[in-house]
Amino acid sequence: MLIPRRVKHRKQHRPDRSGAAKGGTRVVFGEFGIQALEHAYVTNRQIEAARIAMTRHIRRGGKVWINIYPDRPLTKKPAETRMGSGKGSPEWWIANVKPGRVMFELSGVAEPVAREALRRAMHKLPMKCRFVKREVEA
Amino acid sequence: MSEVRIAAESRTEFGKGAARRIRRADKVPAVLYGHGIDPKHLTLPGHELMIALRTPNVLIRLAGEGIDEIALPKGVQRDPIKGFIEHVDLLLVKRGEKVTVEIPVTTVGEVASDGILDVQLPQLTVEAEATHIPEGVEVDVEGLEVGTQITAADLKLPAGTTLIAEPDTLVLHVIAAPTEEQLADELGESEEEAEEAADEDATPEDASVEESGEGAEAEEKAAE
Repeated sequence: MLIPRRVKHRKQHRPDRSGAAKGGTRVVFGEFGIQALEHAYVTNRQIEAARIAMTRHIRRGGKVWINIYPDRPLTKKPAETRMGSGKGSPEWWIANVKPGRVMFELSGVAEPVAREALRRAMHKLPMKCRFVKREVEA
Repeated sequence: MSEVRIAAESRTEFGKGAARRIRRADKVPAVLYGHGIDPKHLTLPGHELMIALRTPNVLIRLAGEGIDEIALPKGVQRDPIKGFIEHVDLLLVKRGEKVTVEIPVTTVGEVASDGILDVQLPQLTVEAEATHIPEGVEVDVEGLEVGTQITAADLKLPAGTTLIAEPDTLVLHVIAAPTEEQLADELGESEEEAEEAADEDATPEDASVEESGEGAEAEEKAAE
């Protein structure tokens, strides 16, 4: 599972949930990809589940790229705890994904196989997504 | 490559307000530059431009009041979600002039069954005559074995095209597909990891993550 080896601050504020992706909005490494259409915090478990889902479908056929990294910690206070007494303990590692971001890419397989593999991966993710292809343009 | 004729209007008002008004009218703000001329700000019809830009490196003939030029799209800004064209940069070209462009690399055929085709350079930089830009370069990968590499120098470029990229740039190679055992190991390990993580719900996942910031020492002291 993806997890940072070292962080500057163990407990951070929750990342900004507004706006659209500024970069990483096109398929650049592979031929096909999954693009986020909504904002979401994607946990390292969801990333791993999506990766496994697509790898399981394509079997030995293709190559997968993961373009997001869960580098932000989210904290949580224990259940039935009174307010105060400091910030809760880190519970999840998340990637702050904004609309337009291409999160996963895939190559080396035919389009119908890629569509199905990425469809299965999309079911593991917490936001609306769509299948995108690499575009050739000026 | 044939040219596409697009009606262009000169643009006199600038800024986001004006640009949004243009986009609301199903038009696209554009700029034309090159050959040392002052940039010309234009307005182009959105639908026609969108259809023209489906062809890579399409040659556009701009026609309008006081405008009669041929140009190549240099940069296209699109909305990442909706996909409409927000702005286009057009590069002025002359007939017979050589221009540096990127052409797509397409593959034909299937590699050997134990390999995966990995295209490292999907677009190749070449120099070609502005009015005769090739649509792409085709590479036959039929039966290529694992470990085979094709560099830019190995490609058969269309006539009148010169390679600009470094000749030893890797265009594509065939990598070994994971064996059934490797795949099973990878999937198995991942599942085990997930199960372990699920069991350890009570303990924070990042117990092993080291903190290295300025506040780390202070926080540790406070904890003591």
